Amino acid sequence: MNYQTVRAALEGPLLTAYNNLAPAVPVYFDNVFDDNADSNEEFVHVNVLFGLTTQPTLTTALDQIRGVVVVRTHTPKGKGPARNQTLVDTAFTVLQTINNTAKPSTGVYVRLGAIDGPTFSPSFGGTTPDQQSRRAFTPFFISRIEAGFQAQVIS
Amino acid sequence: MARDIKLLVKDIEEATLKGAQEACVQIMNGLSKAGPAYTGRFSSAWYAVSRGGTVGGARSTGKLYTYDKRNVPLARFKEGTWYNIVNGMDYADEAMDLVPFVIKDFAKQDPVKNQTRGKRAEGGTRGEVSGSGRNTSTAPMDWWPRYNAAGQLDADLAQGFRRGFGTARGFGK
Repeated sequence: MNYQTVRAALEGPLLTAYNNLAPAVPVYFDNVFDDNADSNEEFVHVNVLFGLTTQPTLTTALDQIRGVVVVRTHTPKGKGPARNQTLVDTAFTVLQTINNTAKPSTGVYVRLGAIDGPTFSPSFGGTTPDQQSRRAFTPFFISRIEAGFQAQVIS
Repeated sequence: MARDIKLLVKDIEEATLKGAQEACVQIMNGLSKAGPAYTGRFSSAWYAVSRGGTVGGARSTGKLYTYDKRNVPLARFKEGTWYNIVNGMDYADEAMDLVPFVIKDFAKQDPVKNQTRGKRAEGGTRGEVSGSGRNTSTAPMDWWPRYNAAGQLDADLAQGFRRGFGTARGFGK
């Protein structure tokens, strides 16, 4: 099993895409959270989680790596959704590209499920608008998309 | 003695209901196991309800609640109705890392689950703690989509349904 290869197959294209923007947008991965960002900054946080790795059968257990990738896009608050939606669109495009890439003869083969989102937070709907709660102090406007994935390591 | 074939449809209906009931129990216990538990209230507030149905609050506090069939009465299931498993706590979105975390005024207590300590940035989600700091988390960040989309939900659904279906008349006993 090669979890790192699977992770790289998801994180690599996202990092490249955000680096190629002008200006480049920093991307933070698991275990490198951006916990010192100022509220006027924008950045992307990518969280890759693995779920079940094998599928038991009567006689053996087949490799079947499953997981979920969550992309959160942080932009300054109070400036409308346009910039945030532009950045989240980059993530969506990357995930779709991964899904449309042909199965390689070696390496990792990844397929994503439905892309869920984007959802935005703080939101201003519901019975108790975030604007009236302590969440109003959250310094960023954050969008979130997620997609389950299945991966196969081809040796 | 073999069971009369004319009872087959009725038996399948009964078996399906029992399958759905056990699947709900298995999934709710799976969610409780996968999710955060500090006071234990969130983990005890999973409900299987029809769309638009009334959701209750916490069933217990100070422990990890274990769901059983009493939490999902068979009489609740009706043919042709969709059921959702939802959490009744008002801070469920935060517990599920769907929105930024807002500090709660919990009375200081021993958390139900082991906690990870670290720093949660301004605007971070419940599970977004890293490095050194005094913030805590009792479940990994994004545990909810992980349970939902990474295979465990499918496994719990299959295991629970199989168990319930197999206990029905004409199939398991």
